[in-house]
Amino acid sequence: MKKWFLVGISLLLILAVAGCSKDKSVSSDGKQMITMWVHVSDDSEEGKVYKKRVDAFNKKYASKNVKAKIDFIPRSGNGGGYEDKVNAALTTDTLPDVITLDGPNTAAYAKSGIIAPLDDYVKDQDDLLPSIKQQGTYKDKLYAIGASESSVGIYYNKKMLQEAGVNLNTLPTVDNPWTWDQFIALCKTLKEKYNKPAIDMQLQSKDEMLTYALTPFVWSAGGEILSKDGTKAEGVFNKKPSVEAMTFIQTMLKEGYTTRTPVKQAFETEKYPMKFSGVWTVTDMETNFQKVDYGVMPYPVSPKTKKLVSPSGSWQFAMTQKSENKEWSAKLVDWMTNKDSNLELSRTIAALPVRYSSEKVLTKEFSDQMNVFMKQLKKSGHARPVTPAYPQVTRAFQQTIDDISFYDQNKNIKKVLDTRATEMQAAIDKANR
Amino acid sequence: MIKIGLKGNKTVYAFPRTKKGTKNKIQWKENVVAYTFLGPALLLLLLFLIIPAIMSVYYAFTDYYLLTPDIRKFVGLDNFINLFKDPIFLKSLANTLKFVVWVIPLQIGAALGLALLLNKQRKANTFFKVAYFSPVVMSLVVISVLWLYLLNPNEGIINNVLTYFGISAQPFLTSPKQAMFTIVFVSAWQGAGFQMLIFLAGLQNIPGDVYEAAQLDGMNKWQRFVYITLPLLKPTSIFIFITTLIGAFKLLVQPMVMTQGGPVNSTMTVVYYIYQTGFTDRMVGYASSIALLFGTIIGLVTLVQRKLVKEEDD
Repeated sequence: MKKWFLVGISLLLILAVAGCSKDKSVSSDGKQMITMWVHVSDDSEEGKVYKKRVDAFNKKYASKNVKAKIDFIPRSGNGGGYEDKVNAALTTDTLPDVITLDGPNTAAYAKSGIIAPLDDYVKDQDDLLPSIKQQGTYKDKLYAIGASESSVGIYYNKKMLQEAGVNLNTLPTVDNPWTWDQFIALCKTLKEKYNKPAIDMQLQSKDEMLTYALTPFVWSAGGEILSKDGTKAEGVFNKKPSVEAMTFIQTMLKEGYTTRTPVKQAFETEKYPMKFSGVWTVTDMETNFQKVDYGVMPYPVSPKTKKLVSPSGSWQFAMTQKSENKEWSAKLVDWMTNKDSNLELSRTIAALPVRYSSEKVLTKEFSDQMNVFMKQLKKSGHARPVTPAYPQVTRAFQQTIDDISFYDQNKNIKKVLDTRATEMQAAIDKANR
Repeated sequence: MIKIGLKGNKTVYAFPRTKKGTKNKIQWKENVVAYTFLGPALLLLLLFLIIPAIMSVYYAFTDYYLLTPDIRKFVGLDNFINLFKDPIFLKSLANTLKFVVWVIPLQIGAALGLALLLNKQRKANTFFKVAYFSPVVMSLVVISVLWLYLLNPNEGIINNVLTYFGISAQPFLTSPKQAMFTIVFVSAWQGAGFQMLIFLAGLQNIPGDVYEAAQLDGMNKWQRFVYITLPLLKPTSIFIFITTLIGAFKLLVQPMVMTQGGPVNSTMTVVYYIYQTGFTDRMVGYASSIALLFGTIIGLVTLVQRKLVKEEDD
């Protein structure tokens, strides 16, 4: 037994040290601490804005017995790093009062009792954009509020389109979008002129981008990924509208209008005339590719329904169930997403606001390109499916795209959809158990 | 200490236990020294390997969901039953086996070939040794990103060279048929340098006079390789074979960086799938059951292999 003596002592020491480092919920000046974790780094533009806003919060409530503190835990890739930390904190019961979470995580976090509903504390919800409420709602309760909004559109190179004989005045607008067929006709013209793919649709991205950017085609065709209550994928996703949307994407690939292996930054360096990308590309264009004269057009719509649908969503703020000071935690969530926070963030990075009040101010400041995104979002923004099984659902969707892009091996789109819908259903049933 | 007699001209002592059960002081001191040195390593092993391993064996029989650590139910063999119905798991198992079967001969063959080429005292050889060994030192992530650029379908050097010689550009990582083989090639290229060094050491241990004798007896180069070099390299080869095999089963970084398991799951490996189910899908219980099953498979393969090798030795 002796041999374990030293081992035991060392273990005890380590545990003792670990025990001491437990977070205190009282600040040095005796005020109640509201701790908040965010997923960005403190030297990123977004991080700086959050820091500023927390300082403003503390200044405004200086007379109150409360103080907010912000911790930066940068994420890597799709959320790793930050989400690992949240998961670890769950096991050790050390979650802070307020956390940030990616839109599609709302359901899983709410169902698991990690985050608490905000309805009792945040009264003024009418100012929020519907897409933001949709994203943060689980089982009719608002759990989280987005820090910003986002959208996707079709970036086009004005010069290249004109040289191919396209009259820019005939291009679609948010009020008058093009159908898939009209869009395909444009791609055909461009392909014939430049003998290159007309558009980079980022089909090679193999990540959340696929779900985020391509589900609107299914919605536009009148389909759904999951049933309204989020419990059914079978008999919902594998329906005719999805087949139509997938056929559109497949046609784009088959005819060579887009490609799974695009040249890197082909649009930015004026090799391809168009790019399908998010609002964040505006920042990139304006800082790194100022020479390119570009415009943005809205999503093409299903020729049958002519309904414009666009993606939405981003990271959000929420308070944890563990928080001992719900009133102030909710206040901080509200503060981080209020009009002033919106303005500050949108003026720093190409982020769309989450409130009507801030949108009203910002549309006057935004460039034409940004305003296309804003208008499209306001009119047609659609949040991603809300389900605790989101990781599996989004992967099944991404694999559907992967499958159909190998069109010689997967001629029967319905069959692909059936398989993937079954996968989604199995994961949903498991998660809702 | 009790004097119990004489052996030659030395006194022999016996060290009986005292009532308290303490051994004699010298031994105690030795133990203290030994465990002080072993302590940190043992502690780390315990904390980061042994305890987690035991815990994951337990989790394998529960429905542990990452977001609700407090609600954990024992579910018996459910996870394992589901595993055998899970097409992606079965596919990942097949992919891993495919990788192992292809990478082992390629990597070991390349390593042996390089070792034979470099097994002469030439100045230039030092340069080549360093050159071939350098991929081993580099991070796997860096290597994978590097090859991602080289293999890029449009701008990649490799496809540009191919098209220059009139061969059509290949979809190395974007075709379900080629992706795994591309990863096999990259992995062999990366890993061969290490085995090459061990083979070199093995080669240098073969005494020169054996070759001399064989040469006098009229053996040609090929015969000397087959009848002398190979048999004398056997202990080295066994070591290399086992370590390469275990390493190959653990394939993760290359597909994670280069293909994300695609296209169409053609490069999804078991370890990658464990990561995905555990951390992306948050099914820690299920992921643990895959890990347990897979660990058992690797253990069995290694056992069988050792047995075969031993029998051959007898």
